[in-house]
Amino acid sequence: MGIRKYGEMELIDFQNVSKIYSNGTEALKNVNLHVDNGEFVFIVGSSGAGKSTFLKLITCEERPSEGEIVVGEQKLSQVKRGDVPYLRRKMGMVFQDFRLIQKMTVYENVAFAMHVIGASSRDIRRRVPYILGLVNLQEKADCHPRELSGGEQQRVGLARALINSPRLIIADEPTGNIDPALSFEIVDLLSEINKRGTTILMVTHEHSLVRHFARRVIEIHGGTVVADSCNWEARHDS
Amino acid sequence: MIHNVRYLIREGIRSIWSNRTMSLASIGVLVSCLLLTGAAILFSMNISNAMEAVEGTNSVKIYMDKDLPVLASLKAGEEIKKLDNIKRCQFVSRDDAIENVMEMLGEKDSTLLKDMTGSDNPLPDAFQVSFKDLSKYKDTVAQILKIEGVSSVNDYSDIAAKLTNLHRLVTTVGFWIVLLLSLVSLFIISNTIRVTMFSRRLEISIMKSVGATNWFVRVPFVVEGILIGLISGAVGSLLLRLLYDKLTGTLTSITLFAPLAIGEIQWKITLLFLLAGSLFGALGGAISIGKYLKKEGGEIVDW
Ligand SMILES: Nc1ncnc2c1ncn2[C@@H]1O[C@H](COP(=O)(O)OP(=O)(O)O)[C@@H](O)[C@H]1O
Ligand SMILES: [Mg+2]
Repeated sequence: MGIRKYGEMELIDFQNVSKIYSNGTEALKNVNLHVDNGEFVFIVGSSGAGKSTFLKLITCEERPSEGEIVVGEQKLSQVKRGDVPYLRRKMGMVFQDFRLIQKMTVYENVAFAMHVIGASSRDIRRRVPYILGLVNLQEKADCHPRELSGGEQQRVGLARALINSPRLIIADEPTGNIDPALSFEIVDLLSEINKRGTTILMVTHEHSLVRHFARRVIEIHGGTVVADSCNWEARHDS
Repeated sequence: MIHNVRYLIREGIRSIWSNRTMSLASIGVLVSCLLLTGAAILFSMNISNAMEAVEGTNSVKIYMDKDLPVLASLKAGEEIKKLDNIKRCQFVSRDDAIENVMEMLGEKDSTLLKDMTGSDNPLPDAFQVSFKDLSKYKDTVAQILKIEGVSSVNDYSDIAAKLTNLHRLVTTVGFWIVLLLSLVSLFIISNTIRVTMFSRRLEISIMKSVGATNWFVRVPFVVEGILIGLISGAVGSLLLRLLYDKLTGTLTSITLFAPLAIGEIQWKITLLFLLAGSLFGALGGAISIGKYLKKEGGEIVDW
């Protein structure tokens, strides 16, 4: 914990952040941490530890009760309601339940994310096939989500998160609904995306994944960061 | 952009169709609201029209005593002509009068009156009189009433007052009913669109998560509302036309009063209905989605 230095590469900065929900639940307590540009971070912890709350604070889905969060150069306390959409365009979100629109094809699901932020049809036609290629789904472009396996559906979700070229991918248990064997495929893809410079924050329960992809691991327990290291496995295996 | 508009309209029609029952209810209430507004407008226009006609003729009808002999009537007529303020005085015999009525009723209904000719004619002799100076109306009428054999003068000022009252009544009652119905339509439209909204929670959620602005999320629902409004406007103006034609058809034969022809103002009413309908629809859509989006930045459901 606290081994990382401040720097120009900094993308996310939590300064004494606490979150108390309106019903009194204290989901995060005095969290301090930094994530640099280009990092790949696993976030682990038991259910109800506050992992999703941590991500929701970054996307402005929730606002902190105390403390300040900086994303890029932007203090989130200064981001007005109306500016939240523009902040989110710099982030790609991936969910456990894929969140694909059943009546749309794979292609349309991905194009939809460009369409709703006002991209031109020309840009959409050019970019969607490229991104589908990146997640190896060119052949499935005209399929509907129900015709795909869980792993393939999540790759569509990933393509949608990538389509608007975000600096940051926020994935909340992206492999939670997928066969463990296929989970590796998803994280492989995320690693690939990370290599191209995109920062990844991924919440997961699967220790085998964390072990296999030796990356920075932040462990949250009861709303506080209890471990933050690149050699998390070393600590836990001993 | 054009592609988007077509897409939005297609989606709007689709969601109206998949939510038929509620959409139909919305359209029904909005049509009723528009119909009542239209009825009130037409009614008040007709009354204004009638008032103008009454005031414009500047003439009164003077009825003689029922069984006064014709010669006595004509003598009274001479006396009327001698009065200062009389411009024109035309004799209308009881036979002419009954014939006029029969003519106006047309072939079929006039058979009812065929026994009322000759000595069985219930109508009195009359004079159609116009004045030089309308402001002396009251005095002149008083003078006429003093002449022997004169039974009554039909008093247009009285009718004018009644029409004015009716006009006021229709306008106020119409206003409140229309206001009430407008609120009901808004309520029903926004609820109809709320159903669509909940069936699209996931879609909205995805839109919010990829950074769609609230404005963008709002548009499809406003479009749906506008479509409901346009359909209601079209149906409403068509119905109003049909009902009005039917009603004035029967009214004319009863009251001998010539109603306004709707033809000249039809396009104005249609335009008004379409405008009002789409305005209400848009408002209904905006209200329902506005409530939903009120939360911080817009919620991403179940995350
Ligand atoms: N919207 C909310 N209102 C109230 N309490 C909440 C809300 N969201 C989460 N919580 C509570 O906050 C705590 C942390 O939740 P969460 O961040 O979802 O945990 P995790 O993702 O690690 O399972 C839990 O106790 C949860 O019940
Ligand atoms: Mg969670």
